[in-house]
Amino acid sequence: MSTQRPGRAAVTGIGVIAPNATRVDAYWKSLREGLGVLDRITREGCDHLPLRVAGEVRDFDAAALIEERFLVQTDRFSHFAMAAAALALDDAGLGSGDPADPYSIGVVTAAGSGGGEFGQRELQKLWGQGSKFVGPYQSIAWFYAASTGQISIRGGFKGPCGVVASDEAGGLDAVAHAARAVGRGTGAVVVGAAEAPLAPYSMVCQLGYPDLSTVEEPDRAYRPFTRAACGFVPAEGGAMLVVEDEAQARDRGTAVRAVVAGHAATFTGASRWEQSREGLARAIRGALDEAGCAPEEIDVVFADALGVPEADRAEALAIADALGAHGTRVPVTAPKTGIGRAYCGAPLLDIAAAVLAMEHGQVPPTPNVFDICHDLDLVMSRARPAELRTALVLSRGLMGSNAALVLRRGGDCAR
Amino acid sequence: MITTEVTLDELATLMKKAAGITVDPKELKQAADTPFASFGLDSLGLLGIVGELENRYSRPLPPDAERCKTPREFLDLVNNTLKAGA
Amino acid sequence: MTRRVAVTGIGVVAPGGTGAAAFWDLLAGGRTATRGITLFDPAGLRSRIAAECDFDPLAHGLDPELRDHADRYIQFAAVAAEEAVSDSGLDTGQEDPWRIGVSLGSAVGGTTRLEHDYVLVSEGGQRWDVDHRAAEPQLHLAFSPSTLASVVAEQFGAKGPVQTVSTGCTSGLDAVGYAFHTVAEGRADVCMAGASDSPISPITMACFDAIKATSPNNDDPEHASRPFDAHRNGFVMGEGAAVLVLEEYEHARARGAHVYCEIGGYATYGNAYHMTGLTGEGLEMARAIDTTLDQARLDPTLIDYVNAHGSGTRQNDRHETAAVKRSLGAHAYDTPMSSIKSMVGHSLGAIGAIEVVACVLAITHQVVPPTANYETPDPECDLDYVPRTARPRKLRNVLSVGSGFGGFQSAVLLTGPGGRTR
Repeated sequence: MSTQRPGRAAVTGIGVIAPNATRVDAYWKSLREGLGVLDRITREGCDHLPLRVAGEVRDFDAAALIEERFLVQTDRFSHFAMAAAALALDDAGLGSGDPADPYSIGVVTAAGSGGGEFGQRELQKLWGQGSKFVGPYQSIAWFYAASTGQISIRGGFKGPCGVVASDEAGGLDAVAHAARAVGRGTGAVVVGAAEAPLAPYSMVCQLGYPDLSTVEEPDRAYRPFTRAACGFVPAEGGAMLVVEDEAQARDRGTAVRAVVAGHAATFTGASRWEQSREGLARAIRGALDEAGCAPEEIDVVFADALGVPEADRAEALAIADALGAHGTRVPVTAPKTGIGRAYCGAPLLDIAAAVLAMEHGQVPPTPNVFDICHDLDLVMSRARPAELRTALVLSRGLMGSNAALVLRRGGDCAR
Repeated sequence: MITTEVTLDELATLMKKAAGITVDPKELKQAADTPFASFGLDSLGLLGIVGELENRYSRPLPPDAERCKTPREFLDLVNNTLKAGA
Repeated sequence: MTRRVAVTGIGVVAPGGTGAAAFWDLLAGGRTATRGITLFDPAGLRSRIAAECDFDPLAHGLDPELRDHADRYIQFAAVAAEEAVSDSGLDTGQEDPWRIGVSLGSAVGGTTRLEHDYVLVSEGGQRWDVDHRAAEPQLHLAFSPSTLASVVAEQFGAKGPVQTVSTGCTSGLDAVGYAFHTVAEGRADVCMAGASDSPISPITMACFDAIKATSPNNDDPEHASRPFDAHRNGFVMGEGAAVLVLEEYEHARARGAHVYCEIGGYATYGNAYHMTGLTGEGLEMARAIDTTLDQARLDPTLIDYVNAHGSGTRQNDRHETAAVKRSLGAHAYDTPMSSIKSMVGHSLGAIGAIEVVACVLAITHQVVPPTANYETPDPECDLDYVPRTARPRKLRNVLSVGSGFGGFQSAVLLTGPGGRTR
């Protein structure tokens, strides 16, 4: 490995399973039009809980995308991840399976909630009927590593495999993890996160988060950066990417959609949103440093946009701290207000949105947000055309992590 | 007590339920000596079928059950056990 | 950028004793800490034995908040981390907090608490539409896997990269590996690395019952965990935690810290074969070993000891024996390879870190810990498994390997004084 030139990590494939779309083109169309799809939760056994609104993935036909033998042994979160991985691999032209060198492709996922629905079903069998009624797949469906393992098996990928079990920011950490594996010599890594936290018991577990919005009107429940900010709305789904050695991608004749240019992560403690200002600002500076990127080069910021007033203030100030005067001029957006926050999946959906925004030369808007109370140029109401060469994606987690990722547009990276 | 015999039809249903393997019962009858692996049934899937039968008949099956390689071998063992215990 | 990474502190909570001294005493004495389960009533389970920690949070001076509210696996980690940092002599208050990271692993995280509260909200498994009013207020902390690294980061004011790793039963090795990368590649100067799990609960025992992976030797728990022995019949569940302070080598030297050893390399691969199954060939684990040795530019014949995954399942022990033979060649037969799971059980995600600490102690004492209960050789496993009695030996380069559900195959190389460094 030491004899190889460190590879730059290119994004060559994207697969999205989101509340607003299960295809990348439809995802972009929905984002660009600023459609909000937050709605009443309809999953079975949830309607009595004091969390009414979320971003649900509704038009997902698992059986059409994944073999039944995989479906019976996995939770919905792995169904999403396997489906998104297959879409990303197809997009990258690696979808045929049977890689020539199985060790040249690895798998990394981030997971923040695990296989909750599957787990609840097996807990019910154990406590309702007895231990002998627990099935053989409980041991491989509930735990956080399920999606990485199944994607590796389904595709025959033997490269470095990993799992960051994390809060939201772990989604960005996983992508950085993959980019570093590419830097150390792995040809490509299938990386991302998808979550399925809308099962009854999983929802009960989330009710303790002080930052959760329990507002019952879908278009008022998640409005970061406004005076009406009342917390975040959870969502299911996520995205998987193929992150690949840039030279290998060009040799294969595959389009480089973007380059993962820089990342940094810090920690400032759970629910200490005021302190996340410094943590996030340092993460941004670290990511810019690694990318060799000046603050003025950032053309768009995909904000964390938690929707908690102190957290929103900290984020607005962090952007200003790290980007200087440019921080108040650069377009900022948070398309997740239209689809909710899919925990570790949320920053992956933002990365997908950022790549699409750069490709289309448009900044998608922030649905349901109209009147902000921070010194940011937040893109609202409709998409804004702009030349976008470099995007900054931000994420913070409920347990205290802060992370920033710099992406460069694919076409600009040929050297 | 009525002895219930597990048939190839039922095995096909169990393979579907416990392991997500779709197999035509007719085909299973013709291929009763074909290894489970060639139907795509792995060790966990067979363990799931064993567990399902143990719970259904409220009786343990011998440890060899989950090591059976073919549908015929498996059904012979299961049905002999059920008969013996009846 | 690749920098040297030193181990400057260790801490452990393991069955048979809390603290590195008690832990080493158990291993060096070849004693087993496996017994009938006391943490809950295991009636009706196939495997009713485990290696439990006699853990008294009061005796370890835990923060009252953690003592009263944190999950057992979090408490283990906090106590192990406190010991490791104290052992390292690092004054965390004097360090740049933005240069301190945390990388901790757990396979099942807050499962035990999640199950406890599930029973409350479901009226004992009677309803799908669970009643949230019966849940404890801290339940979200059990739901979020990152609580583990978050709590330990808060304990020492770490503000650098903080992550929780969950790669099944290689979580501990991989958490050490991620921390190694974090320090070697310059993202932090100090990183607390380790893992914790407290999986001895009905649901976790039942899920391994369902696949017959755990030992049913309920009548003889002390001798139930028998890695590599012909009469093995599954692993024995364990619990515990271990934390190591990893530190950039020059940073450690500049403050005059004691360096136990260095991390010489780390690699992990997927077997892309089966979520729980292992091949008889061990190709992917061999590849992890080979890559790790390449990183250190170390010839396989210079390996002095292999700390095995050695879970005591037939497929694991064969797989691993094949892998080590493939990587070390004829030298495999001259290399002691033992499994401490024979003594402290298999604590899922935690065990990888506990085993790395065992390797650090082995290097420190120049003694190979034994495989307890090893009596009857298995023709399929024909290496030197260090039966029952610890063995003095010159230990410079030591490998720790692991396999996990999901297909993970990992290896970590430790290089002690006189060993090869990069």
